[in-house]
Amino acid sequence: MNHILRKLQVTFPQQASILNLSLCRATPSIQHPMWSTASINERQYRDMPTHGIGRWRHLLPKQASKKKKVKNQVKDLVSATDTAYGTLNVKVSGYDMTVVEHYSQYIHNLCNRLNIKVAESYALPTKSTEVLLMQEQGNKTFVDAVLKTHQRVVQLSSLNASLCPVFMDVILKNQPEGVQLSVQEHTEADYLLRFKARPELDGLIAQIYQ
Amino acid sequence: MAAPCRKMASRSFSRLLCYFSSTAVGSGACRRFSVTPIDRATPLGSTAADRATSPWSLMAAVCLQRLPVISADCSPIEQRFKQMLQQMELEKSLVSDHELRLLEDAEKMSRRQAADYDSDEEDRGDQEIMMTQDLEDTWEQRLKNFHPAPRVRADVDEDLSSAQRCLADSLVLLAEQQVGAEKLWLLPQAAWQEGETLRQTAERALDSVTAAGVKATFLGNAPCGVYKYKLPKAARTEGSVGRKVFFFKAILADGAPGSAPTAPLLWVKKSELQEYLKPAYMTKVDRFILNL
Repeated sequence: MNHILRKLQVTFPQQASILNLSLCRATPSIQHPMWSTASINERQYRDMPTHGIGRWRHLLPKQASKKKKVKNQVKDLVSATDTAYGTLNVKVSGYDMTVVEHYSQYIHNLCNRLNIKVAESYALPTKSTEVLLMQEQGNKTFVDAVLKTHQRVVQLSSLNASLCPVFMDVILKNQPEGVQLSVQEHTEADYLLRFKARPELDGLIAQIYQ
Repeated sequence: MAAPCRKMASRSFSRLLCYFSSTAVGSGACRRFSVTPIDRATPLGSTAADRATSPWSLMAAVCLQRLPVISADCSPIEQRFKQMLQQMELEKSLVSDHELRLLEDAEKMSRRQAADYDSDEEDRGDQEIMMTQDLEDTWEQRLKNFHPAPRVRADVDEDLSSAQRCLADSLVLLAEQQVGAEKLWLLPQAAWQEGETLRQTAERALDSVTAAGVKATFLGNAPCGVYKYKLPKAARTEGSVGRKVFFFKAILADGAPGSAPTAPLLWVKKSELQEYLKPAYMTKVDRFILNL
């Protein structure tokens, strides 16, 4: 009895392994209609068993289609509410360009750190001032120096009213020498100041309306 | 406590137009200011229901600061670093137009002095009336005639009541006021009255303590700090347990004080505040005065 059982036990795993092997070999070749759409990882071509082995992009989540971004979008003016100021222009101007630029960068970084939203940060055209001095002998004036006034603007979209005194205090205390600071509301006129004058267009418009 | 808070929330904020400038050698010790509040809505009157009877009475105080006029001196490490950077910049820099002209003139002079100098060969374009070296000499002369104002004046620094002391630091105004039974040094304060905002109370406090000519710009409608204290047991009644003081920040504008101030005033640095203020008051005030 026992030895018969043992024989059966011994032979059984061998038979099972043979069965398993045959099963494994059978599944790729048998294109069962139920199983053709089984999984995405199912390889498509039996002649090229490794076709598409490196595919991974189908596994990523779907991204929104990238539309071409419109550059230089006109940002809307934020109006003041009860607890926050509207669009503010922090204008930094001075003769020394490095100092002016570094100070405007400091203000921008400070806003980022205090989570104040900065709408834009741009530069206004440089104004040149010629200093003419009277000559010691004679009435003619001569050019003594050319001073260039550089202006940088940091536009804040909304400033919380409780944060305003702290922010103003910090930028005033860190104001360098020779730099003028001005905080004003942003108006349409300020926006139009950035554009160059177009004399031909103005001439044509004047002709139309005459 | 409920009434003024609600008032501040419902009032629309004034549109500030501030202009601050910082010049190295200014006429006075203060920066030039111009403030134009464009739209200042009147505060809504509180209804009888709003006025909750609270045992705390309100006061507003002003923290008037005079900003530094000149930049602070560099520490030894900063000086060495500055020198090193300047030297690096000099070594990396290119020759400027003026220096080029100087070199050309020197070369021309040396050619003229040479033995085989033919003046006809020399391509003389526009003969300059002034040589570049002479220009430099006139500039040096003008620099010698220029005398800048002294940065540090020891005698003015000692005078605690002058607003021109310690031009490199920011100063805070202290006034001696009668609080209860004793006179204390503190930031100018005034009691809040019905129908006005806390900021107006602070402005009133400033006007009452300083002279008429002093102009200050308030930095905002929101207070920057608060200090509450209970009245001594003898003075406590059912209706009043203590006082709450709200602090507002302001910057001193360029205003030459005309008449003498009504109360003794002090302009002190943050480091000197400890000598004049009470410890509990000092801890609260310390938090919002920036020592930059």
